[in-house]
Amino acid sequence: MFTLFDHAGFKRVKSAVVPGFRFRKASTQDSAEAYGVKAVMMTAQKP
Amino acid sequence: MSDLATQESVEQAPLEGVIKGEVLRMYQEVADHPDKEFHFFHGREAAEMFGYEREWLDRAPAGAVASFAGVGNPHLRSQLQPGETVLDLGSGAGLDSIIAGWQVGPSGHVLGVDLNPHMCAKAEAHAALAGGVMECRSGTMEDIPMPDASVDVVISNGVINLSFRKRRVIGELYRVLKPGGRVSIADIVSAKQLSQSIVNDPKLWAS
Repeated sequence: MFTLFDHAGFKRVKSAVVPGFRFRKASTQDSAEAYGVKAVMMTAQKP
Repeated sequence: MSDLATQESVEQAPLEGVIKGEVLRMYQEVADHPDKEFHFFHGREAAEMFGYEREWLDRAPAGAVASFAGVGNPHLRSQLQPGETVLDLGSGAGLDSIIAGWQVGPSGHVLGVDLNPHMCAKAEAHAALAGGVMECRSGTMEDIPMPDASVDVVISNGVINLSFRKRRVIGELYRVLKPGGRVSIADIVSAKQLSQSIVNDPKLWAS
């Protein structure tokens, strides 16, 4: 998604992982970890 | 659009419709039955997990807090200022819009967009209960029902990942923002390409 913001023309694109995000169900969390699924915060600015 | 892209778009259209329906059903379920357990955290428990201020959660209408289904806290970096116009993309039951309204004050504006018109009505009612004004428009994030260069800040929480056409959505954010406008979103990303069986499973899109 970072790249999509960049390609759209946004500047100052920044991202950080949301600390503590997890799924309630262990099986969902395990699958998410296997695919590198994570929650992120993103900020960007239109020039 | 290339022939291949056109073909893929046509092939994905029925699946996109099914997934949109499942997403609508899931978030309506959270709003109607917030006491149920889902495989994601929601309500006050989730909001506290992501650092929402307790004062906000105490002050907001209980229904808006209980139906919260975000994945982070876009307010941590939004730096909203009094008088600004804010778009809450995928405004749901309205908690993020309400908090944004407190930050931009009576001289500012909060506009919500949600796929579900019932959720729009609910969000506006919650905002009114909180003493603020929010206008919510029913529409899609791929065609945001707002004019070009009309908002100062876009906030969004766990919504863009639900779109089949993320490039289009990001382009829409760019279109509706004024020059110098900002985006502060929380969302789900994947480091690996998901298998086709996952992509084709509507229930996983609505997770």
